[in-house]
Parts: sequence; structure tokens; C-alpha cells
Amino acid sequence: MPRLFDYDRAQHLLAKYRIKSIESKYVSSYGDAIKFAAGKPIVLKAISGKALHKAKSGLVLLGLSSDKEITEGFRDLSKRASKFKPYKILAQRMVKEGIEIIMGGNTDPQFGKMVLLGLGGIYVETFKDFALRTCPITRSDARSMLEQLKSRKIIAPDEKSAKMLEDLLLKVSKMFAASKMQELDLNPIILHNGTYDAVDLRMLE
Amino acid sequence: MNGKTEYADLTHILNPKCVAIIGASEKQGKVGQAIMQNYIDAGFAGGLYPVNISATGKIMGHQAYKSILDIGRPIDLAVISIPAPAVPKALEECGKAKVKGVVIVTAGFAEVGNVELQEQLVRIAKKYKLPVIGPNCLGVMDPRSRSDTLFLPTFKIDKPNVGGISFVSQSGSVGSSTLDLISGEGLGLARFISYGNAAVVDEVDILNFLAHDPDTKVIVFYLEGVKRGKEFIEVAKKTTKIKPIVILKGGVTESGAGAAHSHTASLAGSAQAYEAVFEQFGFTIARSLEELLYFAKVFDTQPLPKGNRVAIITNGGGHGVIATDAVYQNGLVLPELSKPTQAALRKVMPPIVNIRLPLDIGGDADGKRYSDAFELLSNDQNIDMVMAIVLFQTPGADEGVAETVAKYMAMKNKALVAVSTGGSYTKSHVAVMESQGVPVYDSPNDAAAALAALYKYAKYKMSGK
Repeated sequence: MPRLFDYDRAQHLLAKYRIKSIESKYVSSYGDAIKFAAGKPIVLKAISGKALHKAKSGLVLLGLSSDKEITEGFRDLSKRASKFKPYKILAQRMVKEGIEIIMGGNTDPQFGKMVLLGLGGIYVETFKDFALRTCPITRSDARSMLEQLKSRKIIAPDEKSAKMLEDLLLKVSKMFAASKMQELDLNPIILHNGTYDAVDLRMLE
Repeated sequence: MNGKTEYADLTHILNPKCVAIIGASEKQGKVGQAIMQNYIDAGFAGGLYPVNISATGKIMGHQAYKSILDIGRPIDLAVISIPAPAVPKALEECGKAKVKGVVIVTAGFAEVGNVELQEQLVRIAKKYKLPVIGPNCLGVMDPRSRSDTLFLPTFKIDKPNVGGISFVSQSGSVGSSTLDLISGEGLGLARFISYGNAAVVDEVDILNFLAHDPDTKVIVFYLEGVKRGKEFIEVAKKTTKIKPIVILKGGVTESGAGAAHSHTASLAGSAQAYEAVFEQFGFTIARSLEELLYFAKVFDTQPLPKGNRVAIITNGGGHGVIATDAVYQNGLVLPELSKPTQAALRKVMPPIVNIRLPLDIGGDADGKRYSDAFELLSNDQNIDMVMAIVLFQTPGADEGVAETVAKYMAMKNKALVAVSTGGSYTKSHVAVMESQGVPVYDSPNDAAAALAALYKYAKYKMSGK
């Protein structure tokens, strides 16, 4: 069974490679969560090494704003997560709507570490619109990955956004190639207003 | 060879001066008999030495020896075709006799679970630094040196022309049937290598050899898997900088890893990883045996285009329409003709001809009209590639047109493909065009796919990766 990187360790690694992720914090009570929210909508997620697919296990609650919503959400989530002990609860800023993409890494038994770019979120498994390359990748590899996607005009409608995605892909590839992790999901990364936020991640060693 | 960065030298296997056939026999039906017969029938000009443990006198007119050690002359290539348990001893003797390369056609090793017997071969090969192809393979065919270890009855397989295509196949059956197709299509062969179990010489060695082989213009590969992924990438990267590799990968329908823990791993299975490597390092991916040949012949004969602009010349309106669709479906475009070309065409073409692409020169077009069109289009800077559609059912199309197309096979550095759809009358003219090096296709779609493959590789090469 592969081991999940602790969320803090994962965040630290992303920061080291200057990969932007959404602001988040472990909370140990609903009071903590309300304080973190400071009146703005948040997401609560239960993190457990025993539940690799959080959404499928019902461990993600979106768009909690009022104190009441957060309090009830925290209690509800704790109940659901109790069968995946030990777990921790993570509070995250709710991201603006945008295009969801996936960037990831896998270790192929034959060719070694590989990096992936695709249309993300809930569309990953339906459309399977992705491009894959062996690490390390060059800028022209990153460009050709983008060009290979059927959804390229959705995720990179102009030269500026294409450039931003190439830069990000190069960073992700560099981070993945250099680390001990065997598998990586940054899914989804939400693209909005010419920038991005890595919203959820999974690093396995 | 395995585990090292140095690569096997296959020169003496493919271009031997002296060949020993271990297991040679006069008995019909024996593989050793078929191989001897092949060398004799092919007119191999070098020394031929049959070796058989129970030999006395001559085998098929050649002095026979009980052991390769008795020959007393330098041997370049030993072909081993004796029962599997006896192979290690024979290979050891090849090592002692300082043979420069070995092909083991014998089956009955790792492919049937006799892993230890195969390991013995690997140890012996390492000890003597012997390049060994096989076991369990057809071996090699080289139409220049006329070295041919294929033990297939010669009347059942067409003899290939000498040319620039090197065809490599792990599988013997895909190898021999495709080789037959290559010959039947009149394509030119540089080398054929079927390498079976890849115990010693594997795809990495073969790719490296062919990359540096001056006779090989295009490498055509049927592959089921590689043994050394990282080394394969290293060699492939260098090779595609020099020459194109057209590849058909068997076993691509397997799904991604079943019990994956991440989305990425569930998408990126083994088949996807191969595909990614091919894409990343400039391979031309074929999806069928037909495509393998379609791409091979365009790479073998045509220059790489500078851009993706295609001119279509046709003597049939409908074919022009289909071809236009096919061009765009393959990511290529029909440009606007330059003003001088338009003016010049207007002067020489009959009034019924619309001066734009696709250029429909009419059902009555003859050799002269094709020739005029070629001459003017070949000078147009707006055009990178030409697709000439010649329908021989029309009144004007005859051998004159076929010869005209053949004459323009080198369109001043513009790639040219022809499309001729039809039966036996058409086929005879297709043969004329192909013999001069024009790749001809049955359908505009196949022709467009071939041009797209050419352009894609050209783009990869220009990117200077």
C-alpha cells in the first residue's frame, strides 16, 4: 500500500517549487473553522491515508459560509470520517469557478517517471483527454502536450494562458522528478482570471 | 548488450563475407536445409560452410565440417539451427572460433519456459562478447550482401528490391508476412531483422545499429515491448534526429493499471507510456500494418516538407473534394496559389479549368496537361507538398500520364504522392509510377495521412530537440 504524503509536507513541497495552492489550514474544532473562514465561504475536507478518494468517500463539503453551516458541516464530516481513523480535517478557501485541469505524475515500470496534463476534475475519467511525457520535459514538450489535448482551446484559449500552463507543467515535472513520490495528482487545478490554484492534491510514495 | 552502454555491432551479421550454417543438412524439411538452400539461391557470393556433427564429405556441394572449429578460416556469421539442448555447446565453439556474429533460429528457450537454457546462451555471449540475434527468430535478410537466414521456402515469399527501408520485427510471423508485402509492393529493402527472444541483441542494439547504417533511410519497427526502457529512449532520441522511425506497437488495447491509487496512474498505463515516448521522441506512429507500409514508402522516397501546405492536382472532381477533406482532417491545408502561378496556369490550361486548389485539370487531362501543372506548381513558393490524383478510368489518362508523374517524382524538394483508385489497368500504371519512386495510394485519405506523417516528422526535426 503506497503511503500518502502528509498535507503539510505536500504543501511545503509545492511552495518550494513555487506552485500556488489554495490557502488551507488544519482545524480541530468548528470554532477553528469559523475563525479561518472569517465570513467567507470555505471547504471542509477530511484527510485520511485510508481514503485516497475523498470525494467518492463523501469526505468533502463545499461552500460553507455561515457559522451554522460550518458548525453542522464540521460535525457531519467528523461523523463520516470516523470509519477512516485516524483523520484530520482541513479547511480551505472556496475557489472561484473556473476551468478544472489535472497535472500529475506516475512511475512507469519501463520508462520511469512520467508527467501528465489533462482536462481535470470530474471530466478526467469520462473524457480521458490527457497527454503524457517522460521526465524531464522540455518547454517544447510542454507545448506539444498542450497541443495534443482536444480541450486545448478551453484550457489555454490564448498565448498568455498557454505560457502560464507550460511554466506550471515544467515546475510540476521538476518537482515530481526530484522527489521520492511515485504518484502525484494535482486535481483539480482551477484556472481563473489568468491564474490558477491547485485545489486538491495527492502525493504517494 | 544487456546492462551495458555499449551496443552490439551487427555489421558482420548483416554483411558477412563467410557464413557457417550449423545444422546444415541435405534432408528436405530440415530448417538447416532451407537456410543452406536460401544462401545458394540468393547467390550469396561469400564463403559458405555447412557444419553438421554427423557430416562426411559435402552438403549441397559445399565441403562440410563436424565443428565450426574445424573450418580453419575466419567466419563472420554463424547461423545456428540445431536442437535447443545442443545450442550452448555450439555457441561456445563459435566463441572459441572467434566468429563475429551469431543468429540462433532454434526455438525452445525462454518462450517455452526454458529460462535457464537461455541464460546459458547469455553467459556464453558475454564471455566472448558475441553479438547474438535470437534465439527463436527468423534472423536477418540483407538484399545487398544476400545474407538471408530466413528458413521460409523461397517460392512462398516475394524477393524484395534493394532500397532504403529497414524493417525490424520481434515477431517472426508479422516479420515474414510484412516483408512479403514490402516486396510485393515493390518497395526497396535495406535490412530485415527478426530478433525473437532478444536474449542478447535487443531492440536498443538494433535501433542503434540502424541509426548509423548508411544504407538505411527509414526504420520500420513492429514492437511488442522493450526490455530496457531508459536506454531505448536514449537511442531513439538520437536516431530520430538522423532518420525517421515508423513504429507499430502491438498490445495497445490493455487498459491502464487496474488498482491505481491516483487518477494519474489510472490514466497512464503501460500502453499510454509507450505512446507518450513515441510522441515525445519523434516516432511516426502507425496504427495498422497498412499504415506501416504507407508511411515507410513516403519516408523512403520523398523529401521532408518545410510546411503543411498541399496542392492537389486531379482529373476527377469528386476525388478532389474527398482529398481536400482528407487534407484538412489530417491537419494540413490547401493554400492559395501565388499570383504568378495563377497567371501562368491560366495561360496553359483550357478555359474550363478553375485556377484554384484543388486544381481540377479535367477528365480529358493528358500527360502534357499534368506536366504543365507540375512544372508551374513545383515553382510556387506557397506550396510544400503535392498530391497528384490520377484516375486512369478517364479518357486522357494513359501511360503518358503515369510517366509524367514518375518524371516529377522529385518536385524540386516538394514531397509528392499520387492517388490512383482502380483495378488491373490502373495497377499496371501504378507499378510504373512506384518503380520510379512515387508513393502511390488507393485513396486520398491514405495519401493525406502519409503527407501528414511526413510533415509531423519534419516539424519534429526542425524543432531541434
